Amino acid sequence: MNTEVKKGMKRVPKPVFFIVALLILAFSFTAIFGVAYYNGDNKNTVLKGIGDIRWGIDIRGGVEATFRPADGYDATDEELESAKSIIELRMVSQGITDYELYADKGSDRIIVRFPWKSDEKTFDAVAAIDEISSTAQLTFRPGNSYASTDIGSDGEYVYKTPTGETETVLMDGSAVKSATAGYTRDDKGDAQYIVSLELTDEGAKTFASITEQYLQKTVSIWMDDIMLSAPTVQAVISDGQAQISGNFTAETATALANKINAGALPFHLETANYGSIDPSLGENSLVAMGYAGVIAFIVIALIMIFFYRLPGFIAIISLIGQMGLSIAAVSGYFTTIPSFTMTLPGIAGLILSIGMGVDCNVITAERIKEEIKAGRTLDGALDRGTKNSLSAIIDGNMTVVIVSLILMLVFGPANILSIIFGESTTGTIYSFGFTLLVGVISNFIMGIFFSRVMLRSIAGFKPLRKKWLFGGAKND
Amino acid sequence: MTNNSTKANVQMTVEELAQKHNGGRKIIDFVGKKKIFFGISLTIMIIGIICNFIFGTTLDIQFSGGASLRFSYTGQIDQTELHDFIQEKTTDKITTSFSKDMMGNSGNNVAVQFSGNDAISTDIQDSLEADLQEKYPDSSFKCLESTSVDASMGFSFLLKCLVAVAIASALMVLYVTIRFKKIGGLSAGVMALVALFHDIALIYFLYVIFQMPIDSNFIAVVLMILGYSLNDTIVIYDRVREERKLVGRKQDIGDVFNLACTKTIRRTIMTSVTTLCAILIVYILAVVYNIPSVQGFALPMMIGVISGCYSSICIAGPLWVMWRHHKAAKNEEK
Repeated sequence: MNTEVKKGMKRVPKPVFFIVALLILAFSFTAIFGVAYYNGDNKNTVLKGIGDIRWGIDIRGGVEATFRPADGYDATDEELESAKSIIELRMVSQGITDYELYADKGSDRIIVRFPWKSDEKTFDAVAAIDEISSTAQLTFRPGNSYASTDIGSDGEYVYKTPTGETETVLMDGSAVKSATAGYTRDDKGDAQYIVSLELTDEGAKTFASITEQYLQKTVSIWMDDIMLSAPTVQAVISDGQAQISGNFTAETATALANKINAGALPFHLETANYGSIDPSLGENSLVAMGYAGVIAFIVIALIMIFFYRLPGFIAIISLIGQMGLSIAAVSGYFTTIPSFTMTLPGIAGLILSIGMGVDCNVITAERIKEEIKAGRTLDGALDRGTKNSLSAIIDGNMTVVIVSLILMLVFGPANILSIIFGESTTGTIYSFGFTLLVGVISNFIMGIFFSRVMLRSIAGFKPLRKKWLFGGAKND
Repeated sequence: MTNNSTKANVQMTVEELAQKHNGGRKIIDFVGKKKIFFGISLTIMIIGIICNFIFGTTLDIQFSGGASLRFSYTGQIDQTELHDFIQEKTTDKITTSFSKDMMGNSGNNVAVQFSGNDAISTDIQDSLEADLQEKYPDSSFKCLESTSVDASMGFSFLLKCLVAVAIASALMVLYVTIRFKKIGGLSAGVMALVALFHDIALIYFLYVIFQMPIDSNFIAVVLMILGYSLNDTIVIYDRVREERKLVGRKQDIGDVFNLACTKTIRRTIMTSVTTLCAILIVYILAVVYNIPSVQGFALPMMIGVISGCYSSICIAGPLWVMWRHHKAAKNEEK
């Protein structure tokens, strides 16, 4: 058996320990704090750190809602898709980019989840939900008589409730294929913002007769109870390509086009589920989890040094590396891995993986200790200890990999179970599965490869070649 | 390894085994104490089942459908008075619970849960917040969190979670069966599964006893513990496989198991301790900062880790040894 040990044993040069340790520390430092330089007021991020992590709505605060067509209307896939695209349009037009939106065609549902806008002040979830789901019936009506006026929150007048001849509906939103905002140059060369309507074939015919009947008269466009616009018909339009011009700015033209698009759907959306989280709550949680992470790391570091001495010390370095890798995988440090939305269970998973992450090192350290107690030389113990613990580490980690994959598949956006159970938003648990998986993989890389190289290298130092430092009895 | 082949035909006593394979230290007799272990587990199960009958279980609104709102406020308000006021303003029967953030960041909290399994309309949240602000103008009432789930969607989510647990369990057994073919893979897999159900049952009873509604946290914890508990079991099986090669096939499988278990127990306990430490710290901070979602995650996870460690050694192992003995006896009869 001795010959076998000698054959398998390879010394690792002494400087390797310092090189590997420094690399791990440097990598983790940049992964945690990020690297950025300031060019005037512009921050240029070179490497992303914790500060660049995209937080989920349970931390940043936000709204989640599920909509369905009201009154049991059976929407076609296309209608659902266009309702979805309208919500998407609204999100984009409101400057919310970091949202999730899914249309579940099986059960006719649209699921949306979005964080609060950075300039949001009121955090009124109800208003936000109403705003998105206020899909309304678009109508074209003769004249522009209205019963009442209001002043909207934007300070503009809101004309409400059609009266008189305007009560007649000439054409509804289903005639509109799409509306887009754009601009043309007038005679003086100034930009004039316009809204272009593209009508369906059916709509074009209707619109031709309307424009003929109401030539040089007003035809107003209504969304439910509210008048959006009251243009005057300038010409008979028979090709289904209409333009609305007026005193538009880029914003008002876009807003009108969006509303017209939204109104082309023949059903309302009602809210089936909703949830909201205030940002103050999430901030509080983030601070708590931050402390938890740091304290957990310190406590585990102390336990490892106390019980395993030198291998324990090396376990801490590899644990730092593991944290660095995990954070890097979440923050988008590696440009090839897209950044990930981190939620509270995600952070809990990360902290949990600190606790579980020492497992590789514990198994190896225990094994080395055992071999030393069995009377082997230090090198022999190191060699056999690392070799014999490998299969247990691989098998043990595989189960956690399986579980974290299942967690991601179940709680993720598109998953194997979607076929049966429909689409869903990525619940907060999704991120738990992700951090757990990343934790296990990083642990694997750090615990199996780097820890072992460091351990062998450090064992080359004369003053450290004491069995006590590796878990043997004091007098060895 | 050549000298091992001679051992294969000799049946050693436990003392000899300890002398030769455990450096003279005593081998802990886990299999022999199986009656005590099974007794403890059965007692806990029975208590759990009784509690289940008495208290019943509740599904969280994530699964059953329903609605809850959480408001923060400042200053002191009499809790019954507040409850009555909210009740007066709503048509559904409500239950309220109060909590406080010890760090003072989100002040006092009142959680309002509506009875019934229907989602509430968004108007209710708005009007209730307005009513509260009107009644207690100095307390700056603010809606911190709101959840409202449609019953049919909740049920489909529950089904999805259960299917996930089933798939995970099946994959685990499959993995163990394949990896441990040499020591009777299927029996090892099945017994590991029994230990897993043991852990799931304990987590479930914790929910029952603490009257926590079953929510997606429960499913996450269950899946997590499936992996964690099996990790412990696998490390032990791995050692059984290795020791069996060294000790020889003639040796009683119970003795080999005891030997493997004794040698790995320090590792099993250490890993559980570090994992438990991490979760405990998360739990404590979640309590201090009043974050119910994280508390509901960390507490069952702690129980799961303890149970996972215990069931791997004290339930899965002895059961597996019993199965092997039973099979060996059967083979001899033939």
